[in-house]
Amino acid sequence: MNESTLFVITFILYILSAFFYLGFLFSKKPNWAKNGSALAIFGLITHTAALIVRTIESGHAPFTNMYESLSFLSWASVLAYVVIDKKFKIPKIGPYLMLIVIGLVALASSPLMPKQATPLVPALQSYWLWLHVSVTLLGEAFFAVAFITSMMYLAAKEADKKEKWDSVSYRCVAVGFPLFTLGGLVFGMVWAYKAWGTYWSWDPKEVWSLITWFVFALYLHTRIVMGWKGKRSAVIAIIGFLAALFTYFGVNYLLTGLHSYA
Amino acid sequence: MKAFIRFFTSIRLAIVLLIILAVASVLGTLIPQQRSLEEYAVRYGRLASPLIRLQMTQLYHSIWYLALLGLFALNIIVCTLTRLSPKWRRAVKPHILAESKSLLALKVKDRYRKSAPLSEVKADLEKSLASSRYRLRTEAKDAKVHLLARKKILGIFGSDVVHLGLLIILAGGIFSGLTSIRKELAIKEGQTLPVPRAFFEIRLDKFTTEYYPDGSVKAWKSAVTVLEKAAPVLAKTIVVNKPLTYRGYSFYQSSFGWDWDDPRLEIWAKKKSDPAFLKKLKLKVGEKIQLDDKDQTSIAVARFIPDFVLGEGNEPQTRSLQPNNPAAYVEGYRGEEKIFSGWIFANFPDMDRIHATKETDLSFELKNFEAGQYSVLEAAKDPGVNLIWIGCVLTMLGLGLAFYWPPWEIKAVLEESQGKTEVIAGGIAAKSRDSFQSEFEKIMTSARRTK
Repeated sequence: MNESTLFVITFILYILSAFFYLGFLFSKKPNWAKNGSALAIFGLITHTAALIVRTIESGHAPFTNMYESLSFLSWASVLAYVVIDKKFKIPKIGPYLMLIVIGLVALASSPLMPKQATPLVPALQSYWLWLHVSVTLLGEAFFAVAFITSMMYLAAKEADKKEKWDSVSYRCVAVGFPLFTLGGLVFGMVWAYKAWGTYWSWDPKEVWSLITWFVFALYLHTRIVMGWKGKRSAVIAIIGFLAALFTYFGVNYLLTGLHSYA
Repeated sequence: MKAFIRFFTSIRLAIVLLIILAVASVLGTLIPQQRSLEEYAVRYGRLASPLIRLQMTQLYHSIWYLALLGLFALNIIVCTLTRLSPKWRRAVKPHILAESKSLLALKVKDRYRKSAPLSEVKADLEKSLASSRYRLRTEAKDAKVHLLARKKILGIFGSDVVHLGLLIILAGGIFSGLTSIRKELAIKEGQTLPVPRAFFEIRLDKFTTEYYPDGSVKAWKSAVTVLEKAAPVLAKTIVVNKPLTYRGYSFYQSSFGWDWDDPRLEIWAKKKSDPAFLKKLKLKVGEKIQLDDKDQTSIAVARFIPDFVLGEGNEPQTRSLQPNNPAAYVEGYRGEEKIFSGWIFANFPDMDRIHATKETDLSFELKNFEAGQYSVLEAAKDPGVNLIWIGCVLTMLGLGLAFYWPPWEIKAVLEESQGKTEVIAGGIAAKSRDSFQSEFEKIMTSARRTK
């Protein structure tokens, strides 16, 4: 099976998953959530296959243009959700996360994104491409889950539910922050040094990663040292995710710099 | 004053600084950095000069941004040190004594009684704790035995290790800024260039560009030789992402270009009156060639421009170093007398701008042009980079400790009365409380059961 067929199947599975999750949201029947979760996992499997096929066909890592990178980000988001859901049992965020993932996949499939795999430009010919991009996007996927759980916190009314959303948000940041630091900043610096001879150039994408990092550092310090929890924590996590989102999207389209590949 | 010092040494300042640094950094991505004064004047008008004076146009190198980073570093040092000594005491000389009441007030706790002497019950409990890899300390006081069992105690230093790592990264940045050498070496094939502030030279043996079947660039390759005292010591091919490292210097494939100062040109001369007349001339700039026609004309090229454009005052100049619009200035002589001259263009063979003082029916086409390529290698020496990597490793190690190596602590008080021993135990975990609770329960069950 070729990549685009697998991608379409994945898209359909994600839509069905979102449909069942929405059903769960309105009917409150746990069976609907179970089906939604199973479909999301099936989607994740076909999506993984699609990424592998693309890697084999193109001969390079599956995140060298916006289409590939969006596809990988949506894959990482589903993975992050499946992991967090397995540990904390939070099917309620399923519908929201799947809707975001569908949005990402739809954006990737839109005619705006050139899908053709192009040969790798000299600057990207490095195994650091794998390490830098995959770990960073995985970290950002956990920030995305933290974003949704923080929104759930703000929307929740009962105290025990609020406490749960607050703690799940923190756990997502606890996974996302080290991954983002490692992939985005550390691996980014190593690769920049390997390719350009300088580990830091104050390029807009670098600066925005640093800003994202500052925001989550703020999240951790206000929380652990000053005991901020709940509403203020949730707001900082939301700002942090928006900063990560801007690092990922906005910088490419609104600012110019060295990261002009994807 | 006291309040000021307290603020300066507080985590509050760290939080204020994180916010200010984030906002300032955003500003720096909105205002284009390090552009020309003219560009700022056009973009910002009257705001340009205050922006430049506030160093907003080179924000990340501005005194105030660096001062913020310096203050941030100081604050990290102070905050880390003030928290370090109690942590150190907790790790090395912990309180072993505990109140039964306070243990029972904990969330994770247990209480049991066994019909056995204290020493036996204690041994059972110790064995059970040790099998879950807890380190034990005991102290006897007032006929009671106090027990402290801990594991993963290094986890309490996680944040300190992160802070140390960040400080080393900042120090590395300063060190880089002060000591790094960076120079672009534009080097032609066969040319040897001295490396700045080093005792060796580098020679470019061959520069090649490889293409994919679709025409896009696959690789730029510079085959170079390192020479010491004119003797070759090392040969390597430098590719993007694969620099050459020698004696603390790294050489990167940074760019390339054509050496337009000395191009080899091919110009075709034709006659309007005689379609059979065709002379193919191969010449360089400044070279004069006889056309071998009956008028004894000789041809020279006075100038070559790779990307022709008319600048201010209609002065011909090149827009770039890419051969986008190659043009040659052709001159015709009869003896020493210049009889015509003008620009011819490779892309526009029909556009012949020859101005003649005497009648001529010659016309010219710029058929081919070749120039040697030169490679641009960036030579860099950055002794600060090792500090950066040490800092990165410590930061990641510290994050790992802080998030995934949480210290777990179990305290117990044992008391014997009338042949029975009562055990009151409680546990504290900063993180992963669920897995701690289940481990605690497992340990207590096994301690109770053993005979």
